[in-house]
Amino acid sequence: MTISTAQIFRQGINSILEQQEGLTRTQQQIASGKRIQSPSDDPSGAVKVIDIEEQIAVTDQHLRNDGFARTELFLEEGAMAGSVNVLQRVRELMIQANNDTQSEATRGTIATEVRARLDELLALANTRNASGDYLFAGFNLDTQPFSSSGGVVTYSGDQGQRRIQVGPSSLIPVNDSGSDVFERIKTGNGTFTLSTATANSGSGVAKSLSQSSGFTSDVYTLTFSQVGPNAPVTYQVNGAVTGPVVTGNYVSGDAISFNGIKMVVEGEPENGDAFTVSPSAHQDVFVTLSTIISALEGPSTNAADNAKLHNAMSEGLNNIDRALDNFLRVRSNIGSRLNNLDSQSEVNENFLLRMNEARSEVQDLDFAEAISRLSAQSTSLEAAQKVFIEVQGLSLFDFL
Amino acid sequence: MANLLGVATSGLGAIQQALATAGHNIANVNTEGYSKQVADFSTLPAQRMGNSFQGSGVEVGDIRRSYDSFVVGELRTRSSKLGQTTAYESLASGLDSLVGNSDNGLSLALEDFFNSIQGVASDPSSLSARQILLSDAEILTDRFGQLNASLLGFERDTNNRITSAVGEINGLTNNLAELNSNIVLALGTGASPNDLLDQRDTLLMQLSEKVGIISLEQTDGAINVFVGKGQPLVVGGTSQPLEVVNSSLYPGRLDVGVARPGGFTELITNQISGGELQGVIDFRTRVLDPALSELGRVALGMTELVNAQHNLGVDLNGQLGGDFFSPISSSVIDDASNTGVATVSLSIDNVSDLEASDYQLFFDGALWNLTRTSDGASSSGAGPFTLDGITVSIAGAPAAGDSYLLRPVHGAAGGFGLQLNAADQFAAGVPVVSSLSLSNTGSAEITDVQVSSTTGLPLGGDITLTYNASIPGYDVVGGPGGTIAFNPATESGGKSFTFAGSGGLSFTLSGIPNAGDVITLSANAGAPGDNRNALLLGSMQSERLLAGGSVTFGEAYSGMIGGVGVATRQAQANLQAEDSLMNSAVAARERVSGVNLEQEAAELVRLQQAYQAAAQLVAITDTLFQTLLGATRR
Repeated sequence: MTISTAQIFRQGINSILEQQEGLTRTQQQIASGKRIQSPSDDPSGAVKVIDIEEQIAVTDQHLRNDGFARTELFLEEGAMAGSVNVLQRVRELMIQANNDTQSEATRGTIATEVRARLDELLALANTRNASGDYLFAGFNLDTQPFSSSGGVVTYSGDQGQRRIQVGPSSLIPVNDSGSDVFERIKTGNGTFTLSTATANSGSGVAKSLSQSSGFTSDVYTLTFSQVGPNAPVTYQVNGAVTGPVVTGNYVSGDAISFNGIKMVVEGEPENGDAFTVSPSAHQDVFVTLSTIISALEGPSTNAADNAKLHNAMSEGLNNIDRALDNFLRVRSNIGSRLNNLDSQSEVNENFLLRMNEARSEVQDLDFAEAISRLSAQSTSLEAAQKVFIEVQGLSLFDFL
Repeated sequence: MANLLGVATSGLGAIQQALATAGHNIANVNTEGYSKQVADFSTLPAQRMGNSFQGSGVEVGDIRRSYDSFVVGELRTRSSKLGQTTAYESLASGLDSLVGNSDNGLSLALEDFFNSIQGVASDPSSLSARQILLSDAEILTDRFGQLNASLLGFERDTNNRITSAVGEINGLTNNLAELNSNIVLALGTGASPNDLLDQRDTLLMQLSEKVGIISLEQTDGAINVFVGKGQPLVVGGTSQPLEVVNSSLYPGRLDVGVARPGGFTELITNQISGGELQGVIDFRTRVLDPALSELGRVALGMTELVNAQHNLGVDLNGQLGGDFFSPISSSVIDDASNTGVATVSLSIDNVSDLEASDYQLFFDGALWNLTRTSDGASSSGAGPFTLDGITVSIAGAPAAGDSYLLRPVHGAAGGFGLQLNAADQFAAGVPVVSSLSLSNTGSAEITDVQVSSTTGLPLGGDITLTYNASIPGYDVVGGPGGTIAFNPATESGGKSFTFAGSGGLSFTLSGIPNAGDVITLSANAGAPGDNRNALLLGSMQSERLLAGGSVTFGEAYSGMIGGVGVATRQAQANLQAEDSLMNSAVAARERVSGVNLEQEAAELVRLQQAYQAAAQLVAITDTLFQTLLGATRR
């Protein structure tokens, strides 16, 4: 077979060029550390890398959101811890004030401290975060949520709850509205509440109130009557809807039971004295505290005054306990959100790690393989060059 | 004696000619398309001498090309294919490295855009977070614009390549026609014009590289050249130039045509097979158009879907969200040669169902035919056509042969722009907020308050739901009014309701309400902490919203890159295959027609020896003559 001279030359140069091209590619790969130089090198790999990078960007953002959520929740947790302390201190003060050894003056001092605590709680309810947003204003976070005017605290926020995306399907609430935290608090024992008629003139003190089975929700009025001096004191319970439910002779310290409610009254109620048991309603913690303050500041001259104070204190303590319950509920919610954040951030970190590994697997170069390929390719290039020179050096004309 | 001298000189002459041929071969060892020439010796006519024939020497009967027409034909075919794949591959590789470079790409800008929406969702009252969102949206706009412009740059590149290829083709056909005339003349003298034939083969090969041709050799030795479906380029000694014309249907796009008698240009763009021209045209329809359409689909999809969600939100001023991105209109292009007066309009019904394709609408005289250009799927009828999330409506009277180009998404990325210009106008909130009355004694809850249409928004007044145990359910005041049924005994886990007329308001009620418990739905006056709509906008990043709900925005874009990558990879593989086929075709031709210097050197040695022998014969003749002279002098 005859091979033309031009063809010998062409073949020689072609093989050198081919080797060069391969060598340059390997060189580029090693220089950049990447296996895929352009999408055509591995279209499905290139697409995978882009998709993985989007996942990484999304997860990074979720981790940033996570940090933001954490800051907000820690702040709220701090405010709630402070609020719990305030109520606990108020509780202690109330128990102290409820003692008959206290005088009007000492109760007045206690009232002053409770008032200071109320202001402290108000300040906590108006806590702002680093960017000046109010924590407890719902969505209206640029408006001061609680403002006090003439002793009446009003809420100007709304009931919105902001949530932050910290995982593909994980939205964590980062605030609780002031309405939910400080306003939506049931009175009494959460089911019903006892109130003392302001006109009571006796020393009857409602000592305990408990719920048993068969509770029927209604507004019950317990009225004491005494037809004349020395006559027995009788009582009658009337339901607003259910009508008269029970009557009997009053014995101090004996239980009065009706429609699933059991209460004990001690002391000596006067004719016409009354207690009301009504279904619990919502009452904000500021009203609860104000009521306690005015009870503490009330006169304390006779047994009837003391009975009023005792009644108000036990009513107030119940309300404070409900507020504490609500604060603790909010705190435990915050705790579980923080727990969620912890587990979600662990998931995110793991996902990020896996995605980074997956990206590296698709796009990164196997250096050991590439370097050995590089040396094989340069050897082949050298060989091709040598052969070219050798072959081109041979010519019959040299012998003519 | 004279006879002997004649034999000797004929030998010297013939051998000289053969030496000259070998020399010609050596001289042309590097001439492109040169075919090795061989001098064929033949005996001169013998003379009758008595009863025998006396040979009278030698002559060069013919100097012929070492030539195989089959091999040359194969070379031409391969050259045509190689020209096609080379052009296709070089354009595709260019696009590949453009879209593959993440610095030019959309991915980062898309990620940043959605990240900053999440940034606003985390801190909705922060004006700086909103400002970052606007600037990231601006960057996204730039990316779309630049990417679209770069892709259109490739369209201009194809136009330039078509123009220059057609120019070269016209030069080549002109030369071919001239060579044809010369060859016919030369052949008329009875001799084979080898070098002219080689030149013509070379031109034919160069022509094949530009465009696929059919060549037919005529009896007079001329070669006629045809292109496309038999449109003549060269007939004998005349050539017919190709023309470049603006496409009547595709704006900014060039077509190739052949001038026909009567000033009419016959378009052959779609009939060309092979050569650089086909490579360029294939790239345009198979790589560039899909990429432009896919990019446009992402742009249009984002514009429409982000706007739709943003419209359902409420901004810091309590206003309903306007358009976030500027609306993009799809284009309908009338073919410039249409003679009818029909008006075709295109409307988009569902962005999520759009295909990344153009559509061609053609009226055949009785029916309209609508063809999706991406895959050629077609349907016919009287119209209107509803498919792939679009509706094509037709009004007026068409004429047979009228055609229209419908581009729902192609080039939409060029129109992508930011409409929102103030940070406080980003609608991060939902226009409706809910609240539970503090006097409620039950445990009723309301969750998942969402709106789905702008009808009836913002709410004219509060909508209050008051629990009424006798229904059981809620009395509704405001909004649709009436009552809604909710049975706490069985539905306290949650029941969803929708008020279609009031912004498509939907919500879930749960818990156990007591009689008289009130839930209020009221207009959001721009509560700065409401991030609910921002969350919905942010979650669009991972929702599969395009291509019938099969891909996210990011995946649609990476799919486009993948598409270009696959096309390029395939082009590279084809080019490699064509390269090696071309190499073997060249090798096959070189085996037949190539000059081997060793062979020529050996030939020189052989001819030199023959020449020396013939010269010796002259010397011997001279000696014989001197002997005769010497003998007769005495």
